[in-house]
Amino acid sequence: MIRYLNVLSVAALVAPAIFAYSIKYETMRYSAEIVKLQHSIERENDRIIMLRAEWAHLTRPGRIQALADRHLDMQSVNVDQIVKAADLPERAVRIDAIGRKLELLGLAEPTATPNDKRAGATTPTSGR
Amino acid sequence: MTQPLDPQAAPDLPQSEPPRPGLRSRLRLHVHNLVHTHIDKSTWRIRLVAIGFACLFGVIGGRLVYFGFKPEPQTLRRAASEAVSRPRPQILDRNGEVLATDIKVMSVFAEPRRIIDKDEAVEMLTAVLPDVNAKELRERLGSRKGFVWIKRGIKPKEQEEVFRLGLPGVGFLPENKRVYPNGPLAAHVLGFTNVDNIGIAGMEKHIDGMGLNDLTMAGFRLDPADLKPVRLSLDLRVTHAVRDELIKGIERYKAKAGAAAILDVNTGEIIALASLPDYDPNNPSDALEPMHINRMNVGVYEMGSTFKAISIAMALEANKVTLNSRVDARDSLRYGKFTIHDFHAQHRILSVPEVFTYSSNVGTARMALMVGVEGHKAFLRKIGQLDRLRTELPESAEPLIPRRWGELNTITIAFGQGLNVAPLQAMMAVGALSNGGQLINPTFLKRSEEEARANAPQVVRPEVSEAMRYLMRLNAEKGSARTVDIRGYYVGGKTGTADKIIRGRYAKDRVFTTFMAIAPSDKPRYLFLTLMDEPQALPETHGYRTAAWNSGAVTGKIIERVANMLNLPPRLDLPTQPFPLLAKLGYGYVNTPFKGN
Repeated sequence: MIRYLNVLSVAALVAPAIFAYSIKYETMRYSAEIVKLQHSIERENDRIIMLRAEWAHLTRPGRIQALADRHLDMQSVNVDQIVKAADLPERAVRIDAIGRKLELLGLAEPTATPNDKRAGATTPTSGR
Repeated sequence: MTQPLDPQAAPDLPQSEPPRPGLRSRLRLHVHNLVHTHIDKSTWRIRLVAIGFACLFGVIGGRLVYFGFKPEPQTLRRAASEAVSRPRPQILDRNGEVLATDIKVMSVFAEPRRIIDKDEAVEMLTAVLPDVNAKELRERLGSRKGFVWIKRGIKPKEQEEVFRLGLPGVGFLPENKRVYPNGPLAAHVLGFTNVDNIGIAGMEKHIDGMGLNDLTMAGFRLDPADLKPVRLSLDLRVTHAVRDELIKGIERYKAKAGAAAILDVNTGEIIALASLPDYDPNNPSDALEPMHINRMNVGVYEMGSTFKAISIAMALEANKVTLNSRVDARDSLRYGKFTIHDFHAQHRILSVPEVFTYSSNVGTARMALMVGVEGHKAFLRKIGQLDRLRTELPESAEPLIPRRWGELNTITIAFGQGLNVAPLQAMMAVGALSNGGQLINPTFLKRSEEEARANAPQVVRPEVSEAMRYLMRLNAEKGSARTVDIRGYYVGGKTGTADKIIRGRYAKDRVFTTFMAIAPSDKPRYLFLTLMDEPQALPETHGYRTAAWNSGAVTGKIIERVANMLNLPPRLDLPTQPFPLLAKLGYGYVNTPFKGN
């Protein structure tokens, strides 16, 4: 009886020790990973800043102007070409000429679907 | 030989024999004493042990105190963190475009104490980094410091080569390096930094002055992410357009130098500033050349006829004249042995608007004399022309004021001679004359109108400001500023041509031309200034080198190009009531257009 108790108590001692060790090693692994990730975040941030600076350098107005002059035949905006939003004409009503023709010919009505015999089953009006 | 030995040895033996058991028993006694406690003997032994421990702890304690007071030995990490250049906040334009930013570069350092063969190290390092001075490097490595730089800001390829050398005591550290991706654009406003990333000029220095430097000096390690970017009032694209037009203008009119700026008259923000010739802040040694100064802020000039706007506003503000007043300009104005002439002499009595549009020196001088010397001085001081203009930029210049200011000075200063001011200063004054009369200090940082107007003193009445806008508009429609009358923007303007002083005399063939334009004149938003140093007369300009032909033409081009970027909508129909205050005061004619636009 006492022997079993001893074995049990030894087991009860060893198990938490193993558990504690495993947690400790896991923590160490995670903290190493955190440091690694932090370094890579830092590196990424540096790269982002670098790329932003490069982007700003490549899109500097002087360069864009030189490129536009060479490759595009655009002109400066004339005063007459600028219109206020309020001065735009109203949008015209959309006229569907083909649809109207079909309607006149009586072809616009929904047709019964041959395969579906249920009441009210129709094909879409558009298309045929 | 053995016989005498024996008797000699014999008495010795019994003598040495008896102490042996005594010694052994004494030892046993000692051991016994150690194990068994005797009350009579233990007191002094306990004391002895106590004293021993007290000494031991005393030594440890003393050592701790000693270490506490001893200055920390300069570890490599510490030396490095002090030497490495610090991060700086980004500088952005008003729309968030990057004007200045930090990038990471690698720098090579050495720990001289750990280098074994210094001569060999120098030889190998200079072979890989050819632009490092061998003699200087030898000296640096020979020093007793724990940390020295070998070269800062190396390329990745160089880093690899140095790494391959495998020298002990040589390492790399990432550093911050300031870069200006837009090159010379807005260089004069941005300023630059030194190799330690400390601001030396311009906004960079201003940023350091706002507390960044104190923090880092106190040993705080600043995280680049914590630094809030600095928003300037400048617009990158507008600045480029202004600089581009100015370059073209300087080339065309063969001027020595030039500058241009745009001021938001309601907020005091500088939207664009260009001063040519300029430099690339990525290469700051160029900035020190005297030709490269910021002509807007650091140079002081006689502003010529643009100053007439200030003089007329002064006479209007002092109620000495009204828009309907007439001023005698029939003849030149004589004062002592000096005679003041008109450039476009009309030889008749002029109305106040005519004095402005014909840019009459005589008329303006007479108006200034009506106000008097003291009144003139007081007005100029009120409008900020006699004191040094302070903005965020550390560089500024004191105006050159005549030491003894008599009536003759008032006469000449009235039409812009004899008082040298920074052009930005003159812009501030004309801005105040057009924005309703509030003197708003120019700024290079983003600011709202409420903020700007909150503390701005009222220097002229709103109706005087409106009269000035009317005069500027009139001048653009039928006066000397016609080159700037860009269709759709209701621009007003004033020219200014000053003869340059060469060896103490006004040179007839060398001029300094300025041009101020306001747009739109009815509800002013922007003030444009262009100035040129020694523009030449061209056949296209009919042999004129006056401001309208060069600075004026450039200003017109600038307005045409940037109006859209500045969100100024063009209006093809003229405003019907551009000057309501004046109409209410009985000058209804100001609202009738002079000619078709």
